[in-house]
Amino acid sequence: MGQGSFCYVKGTPVLEARELTKFYTLGKEKVRALDRVDFTARQGDFTVVNGPSGSGKSTLLNLLALIDRPSAGEVLFEGKPTSTLPERALAHLRREKIGLVFQTFNLIPVLSAAENVEYPLLLTRTPRAERRERVRAILAEVGLSDLARRRPDELSGGQRQRVAVARALVTQPRVVLADEPTANLDSATGKQIMELLQGLNREHCVTFVVVTHDPAVVPYAERVLTIRDGRIGGEERRGEPRPA
Amino acid sequence: MTLTIAARNVLRNRRRTLISLLVIAVGLTILSFVLGFVGEAIRATERSLVMELGALQIGDPRVLDGRASGLEGLIPPEVLERALALVQALPGVTGVTSQIRFAGLVGDAEGSTLLLARGVVPEDCMDEYACVLASGRALGDPVAREIVLGARLAARLGVEAGDRVNVATGTAAGAFNAATVTVVGTVRLADSQAEERLGLVPLGFAQRLLRTDGVERVLVWLDDLDQAPAAAAALADSFSAAGVPLGVRRWDELTPFFSSIATFWRAFSGFTTLAVFVLVFFSVLEVLTIAFLERTREVGTVRALGASRGRVFVGFVSEGLLLGALGGLLGVASGIALSLLFNALGLSFVPPGGNMPQPIRVSVGAATVGPPFLVALGATLLASLYPAGKNARLTVVEALRAL
Repeated sequence: MGQGSFCYVKGTPVLEARELTKFYTLGKEKVRALDRVDFTARQGDFTVVNGPSGSGKSTLLNLLALIDRPSAGEVLFEGKPTSTLPERALAHLRREKIGLVFQTFNLIPVLSAAENVEYPLLLTRTPRAERRERVRAILAEVGLSDLARRRPDELSGGQRQRVAVARALVTQPRVVLADEPTANLDSATGKQIMELLQGLNREHCVTFVVVTHDPAVVPYAERVLTIRDGRIGGEERRGEPRPA
Repeated sequence: MTLTIAARNVLRNRRRTLISLLVIAVGLTILSFVLGFVGEAIRATERSLVMELGALQIGDPRVLDGRASGLEGLIPPEVLERALALVQALPGVTGVTSQIRFAGLVGDAEGSTLLLARGVVPEDCMDEYACVLASGRALGDPVAREIVLGARLAARLGVEAGDRVNVATGTAAGAFNAATVTVVGTVRLADSQAEERLGLVPLGFAQRLLRTDGVERVLVWLDDLDQAPAAAAALADSFSAAGVPLGVRRWDELTPFFSSIATFWRAFSGFTTLAVFVLVFFSVLEVLTIAFLERTREVGTVRALGASRGRVFVGFVSEGLLLGALGGLLGVASGIALSLLFNALGLSFVPPGGNMPQPIRVSVGAATVGPPFLVALGATLLASLYPAGKNARLTVVEALRAL
């Protein structure tokens, strides 16, 4: 993937949340889903945000992924504030610098595995030859070379999530945000996926932020944030930063 | 890949797509057939009128406009000669002939009846009558005392080819004149009323009977009827420049009823087109709205991956257009097939007031294929705009939350 060069800046802040707050209106009631959250994801980090259902994990991830706007506070991407950016600029950041992995894989059903992986490169207007080469390489890396032509409905849950991971990484993003990536997988497949993410993080220095309520995911993190009732309740560092 | 995705999405729910395609195809088949029928009806009327009247007529403006009788505005030979020279210089002229129309009586010792006669140059225009000859032969000698009668008139008089009848009329100077002529043939005309009064005589004989050396009007045929307005204007200019005191009228100016008929048929076509458009629009709108709604989550996904609203919008609209294009091709193809099949049946009918069966044909061409195809594209495009716009306007989070 040619991203090893990013590691020379390991530790540089990629994604930061400052006093991030999000309200939802339910009928006449205003619900605080996220309450003044501060968070920094640095280059090469593998962070797990852990918490029970309804704790605000997905809300935080949506805000960090720039697919939702905060009620208050700020998300900084590579040190630059994003709250005043128009939707067009946010879409640009998402396609160029953010990779997303969804709980339910969210593959486009009419496209093959390879085409699903190729899709983000079409959005970045990557030349055809380069697209094909990158898709081939990333599918090999996630172990799906032989299944490239299969449609999502012809793949197992684990294979689909591998396609989703390949799709998230194919644009060589600065950060990959994963929302409950193991929630729809059996434990053995979930373990394989987490090992894949961990390997990609270690090999390519890609920054990962994974939100989950699955305790089996926690051991893969260097850093674990616990979120409860919309607030970061604690932070645990489980490993030393690895040398670039 | 936008088109690839659109194409695959069109095929995603085959049953639904098939129903949409059938609705479009049936609507377009009907439209294509109706446009072909109407087009042919207008063209057949046009052909028939131009065959009889010429593409242009030249004569005294008062006569051409019906403000004076033919005998009041005859074209003298020297003026005719100059006019014909200018007509021959006109590009695209395929035929020219002179005529005199006059009214009189035709009959024998037993009785007489009204005659609406035309003095014609046999070699110029008897071909058109020869093809509908009911009996006998066409006129031949340009000055002979011969007449071809409408078949109904001949039957009323109880005469047939070879019999002799008397023709009486007023001369150009207003005196009475009469002659005995030989019936050489009878003709059938589409218009039964005209057939009850028509008599064709050689122009030379008509001039002798009317005691004139002039003609009433000159008929001009062109190789391209669409050039009639330009040719009429050019001829009027050259007459004016040369001091020829004649007017020029196009065939459609001489038949104001034609524009009413054509307007009626075009309004009928327009109404059918609108009805098919509305049918296709609402059918496709319903199908696309459901299809797009089912894919709201996919919209959320591609937007989250960085696709712009415009890209999402274009993707959905492409899908609608693709459906329209497929349905359009199917509809146009079946419309052509139906028209060809219909023409192969060789059906005909006798129009009200008519005398002869007229073939019912349906034309097939760009005019019957293009508009229906555009209706399919237009209706599906319009039908896709609302659901596509609605999906594209959703926020990413809203779209991702959809079930």
